[in-house]
Amino acid sequence: MIELSKVKKVYNLGKTQVDALKDVSLKIDKGEYVAIVGPSGSGKSTLMNIIGLLDKPTSGSYKLNGTEVSTLSDDQLAYLRNRQIGFVFQSFNLLSKLNALANVELPMLYAKIPSKERRQRALRALEIVGLSERIHHKPNELSGGQQQRVAIARAIVMNPSFLLADEPTGNLDTASSVEIMKIFYQLNESGTTIVMVTHEQDIANHAKRIVRLRDGNIIQDTLVPNRITY
Amino acid sequence: MYIWEAVKVAIDSILSNKLRAFLTMLGIIIGIASVITIVSLGAGGQKAILGEFEKIGVNVFSIKTRNDVEIRDSDRLTIRDVEMIRKRLSSVKYAAPIAEKMGLAKTDKVTKRALFIATDFDYGNVSNLKVIYGRFLNEKDILLGRNVILIDKESAKELFGYEDCVGKSIKIGSYSSFDTAKIIGVIDSGNLKSLGGSIADQIPVIAAIPITYAQKIFPDVNISQIYVMTYNQNQLDETSSQAVRLIESLHHNKDKYKTENLISFLEEFNRILGIFTAVIGAIAGISLLVGGIGIMNIMLVSVTERTREIGIRKAIGARQKDILTQFLIEAVTISLIGGAIGVFLGYILANIVGPFIDITPVFSINTILIAFLFSTAVGIFFGIYPAQKAAKLDPIVALRYE
Repeated sequence: MIELSKVKKVYNLGKTQVDALKDVSLKIDKGEYVAIVGPSGSGKSTLMNIIGLLDKPTSGSYKLNGTEVSTLSDDQLAYLRNRQIGFVFQSFNLLSKLNALANVELPMLYAKIPSKERRQRALRALEIVGLSERIHHKPNELSGGQQQRVAIARAIVMNPSFLLADEPTGNLDTASSVEIMKIFYQLNESGTTIVMVTHEQDIANHAKRIVRLRDGNIIQDTLVPNRITY
Repeated sequence: MYIWEAVKVAIDSILSNKLRAFLTMLGIIIGIASVITIVSLGAGGQKAILGEFEKIGVNVFSIKTRNDVEIRDSDRLTIRDVEMIRKRLSSVKYAAPIAEKMGLAKTDKVTKRALFIATDFDYGNVSNLKVIYGRFLNEKDILLGRNVILIDKESAKELFGYEDCVGKSIKIGSYSSFDTAKIIGVIDSGNLKSLGGSIADQIPVIAAIPITYAQKIFPDVNISQIYVMTYNQNQLDETSSQAVRLIESLHHNKDKYKTENLISFLEEFNRILGIFTAVIGAIAGISLLVGGIGIMNIMLVSVTERTREIGIRKAIGARQKDILTQFLIEAVTISLIGGAIGVFLGYILANIVGPFIDITPVFSINTILIAFLFSTAVGIFFGIYPAQKAAKLDPIVALRYE
């Protein structure tokens, strides 16, 4: 469960200060599928980074599964990112020198999981995202949609509490975007909590709930009446 | 992250930039190769020289007149000095006088220059002289001043056409007068004369004759030194000073004599070797320093190039320690591979150079281990800063890096 209360984030840009998040309180329960939408500069990436434990709020409290995380050390945050959070990025962010399988195994390396188990779990994760072939190919030998599926496999291989996706379809064509949204739908149906940042309305309509940001504040938090399902 | 995984990542990274990695290693390669070459040749030379010393024996010293003071005829060493050293000093095992004289040796057909070593029966015991045919000088030869001689085997071949010329006669002397001596033995000339060619012609006959005989045929012969062998090596210093005091009392003089032994020779040799090693160490140090700076430079470039990779790794759970380990291992891998190539190259080089300077190189496990240890140390020392820089990168900044 994610609980943000009165979270504020101020960036110091030399002489000027920018309030990226002004006063954000947000609660996301287990099993939810939330889309965070808003124009650029609304603070959605900042919010995502804070939820993903890549950044710390300037003030306010953030509880992840009941643990206050705003006071944890860098290494403790790294541990939580490894176990509790899976990231999917717009630009895939796969390691170009590693093949698909090795990319998926990477988080388990940092969890010190033995190599045999790593391989088994990576293969299973790749199967879930529908990519049992081409697993020995390097990222540049895969299509965008395939790369994003590898990235999703990497994000879910540690069985995290949350899947965080930042514009997951931003670099994909329509067909691939649909494929990715299908995978997200199935993952959510089987219990994975998903938080997704997007600026595309039809992508946002795949979520159960839409949180709209503007100028560092939540201006709307509604359930999606006619969400797209598969 | 498991160390082995980090090593694999490091090797991948090195292989994807082979030329760059090689150039980075060059400093380490040159440093380690030169150290291995020089140290192994040095050890080979040392072994050869020590071997020679041990053949002669390390519990031998020699007494000579000093060459920095005025020496009168009454100060010169005599046969009586040798006899008194034998008789009076209980720690003395053997003592032999040495007088050297250049002259000629001739048969009916051949005349050759000769170096006569005039000595007595103990000489065979204090030197590494080897008699291969016949016998050495005995007490009677000395007592009676017999006209007997030993010559080296190479000269025997030149003078008589064969080595075993025991029983033959030979004429010896200086330029005007000659005396006939009987050959009682042939000695091994060592590898002095195996050089061959025109140099061999320049090397005179090496001949040993009784000191008493030498005094008959060469009126101006003088004992240049006395070789003394003690029973034990630790008696050397005390016996040396006792011998000097004894000779001083016999000649009624003071501060005219000096003693030398192989221990002081060895000490001097080791001192020079120490300086040599220090100089090599300094050269190696500079080379490794340059190599290390090269590694640091390339690692800094690598960290910048891979900023995004570092961001991704951090996002999926790499701790600072993991990133630090990864880059440190990469630096150490580069320097270790450099070290290994250096050791190999040094081995080859020493074996190529060795024959030219007549030294068989000696490779010790220690040298090789130290070489690897040094390579690792250089890798860690110069890799730690770039690795820390990588470990401390902010994941958000790193992920945004293009």
